[in-house]
Amino acid sequence: MIYKNIGKMIQKAREEAGLSQEELSSRLGYTQAALSNYELGKRRLYLANIEQIANELNKPLNYFLEDTAETAKAGQEKTQDEITSEIDKLLLELPPEERKNILEYIQWRKERLR
Amino acid sequence: MIGFDLTKEQLECQKMAREFAEKEIKPYAAELDKRPETAFDWNIVRRFAKANLLGLNVPKEYGGLGVDMMTAVIVAEEIGAACLGIMSAAAGNWLATTCLKHVGTENQKRRYLTRCCGGNALLAALAVTEAEAGSDMAGIKTLAVRNGDHYILNGTKIFITNAGLANFYIVFATSDPKKRHSGLNAFIVDGDSPGLTLGAVEDKIGLRASQVGTLIFKDVKVPVENLLGAENTGFLIAMQTLDMSRPCLGGAGVGVSRAAYEIALSYARERKQYGRPIIENQAISFMLADMAIEIEAARLLTWKAAWLIDQGMDSTKASSMCKVFSTEMAERVCSRAIQILGAHGYTRDWPVEKYYRDAKAMAIYEGTNQIQRMIIASML
Repeated sequence: MIYKNIGKMIQKAREEAGLSQEELSSRLGYTQAALSNYELGKRRLYLANIEQIANELNKPLNYFLEDTAETAKAGQEKTQDEITSEIDKLLLELPPEERKNILEYIQWRKERLR
Repeated sequence: MIGFDLTKEQLECQKMAREFAEKEIKPYAAELDKRPETAFDWNIVRRFAKANLLGLNVPKEYGGLGVDMMTAVIVAEEIGAACLGIMSAAAGNWLATTCLKHVGTENQKRRYLTRCCGGNALLAALAVTEAEAGSDMAGIKTLAVRNGDHYILNGTKIFITNAGLANFYIVFATSDPKKRHSGLNAFIVDGDSPGLTLGAVEDKIGLRASQVGTLIFKDVKVPVENLLGAENTGFLIAMQTLDMSRPCLGGAGVGVSRAAYEIALSYARERKQYGRPIIENQAISFMLADMAIEIEAARLLTWKAAWLIDQGMDSTKASSMCKVFSTEMAERVCSRAIQILGAHGYTRDWPVEKYYRDAKAMAIYEGTNQIQRMIIASML
């Protein structure tokens, strides 16, 4: 989870710097496959790796970590917005009759909670 | 291709660990467990040191055995089969050295890793948990304030394995509690630092041979060079350390289960009722079959997590999975072993009740199994 989030930040920072995976990996002395695995969160990133990447991309170290810690926390609890949008999405995939049933269920739940 | 054959080196290490566990630990397990007070024993630590097992995962250049994670897991299974309580003292070192090995500077490694190696019978520990911060690490309140070339630490850590015994601690503290995860830092703190004192020592139902207690930090001065990693990177350091140590817990869970299973199996073959051994009843033999299945499954899951670590891959999910499965399996297997032994199993004359009490702790420490499930769920 952590590595995936850091990987996304690396990709974002690399793209902002206008570098391809090939260019950044050669500057870092990694193979392109290794950098790709870091960005995908498949390989374990040590602090030393992140520091090296941060230096190369002119970003502070915490650029990669702060967001990660918050995302890690958020990943554990879906936000209300996410739940609502997921319900919307699934609802639209149901036939109209089923949607009516769901509406009745929600009304019933709401009634019970009073 | 997938292979399950151990290398020659791993087999040698397994043999060494098995002999060590049989000769140096197992004979003392019951005695230490039955002592009325917490029964931590420095003699046992000296035995670990003699075999260099306190420096199990410390690279050879610093004097350790320098084994890979797969081998560490195999060793943990053997020692776990002898006594989880006694193993806890060494496991404290494994946690701290795993952390240091990965983020320490060369100077920090030379100064501290070497203390856990060779004949040095010195302990180390990781100090994370607080009254309001266990599962939620971001709630850590122990404060680290920079003051010139030192940090000043103030706070209280609870449930710390090797508390009051360790030569050094890896302590997690915050530079600003409002920053939560992003304010966490890891420090190496010498055990004899002025202002660092031992509070209450816990009286536990299991792991009796392990000392777990409270650490109180009152204006403890920590030199700036003892900060691990960069400033405010403590959260990543803690997560990585725990990810990489969990497979050893998985291995220990397999070990204690194996010990319980072997006793139950041999009892079931010898104990006669209605003129025949009780193992001839399906009710008993199926229980034993289930135990064997679960132990094997936990071992494979643990080996997979260890393999991922050795390949440099992200092992987060696999580490959590093996921790949950292996530790809960251990509880089930030890409970079944008690059931098979019947009233004998419920007495302190047989070791299975001790295994059961010890195994219970594993579902709680190093990240409760509920937290592990949250980690796994977030990665589905």
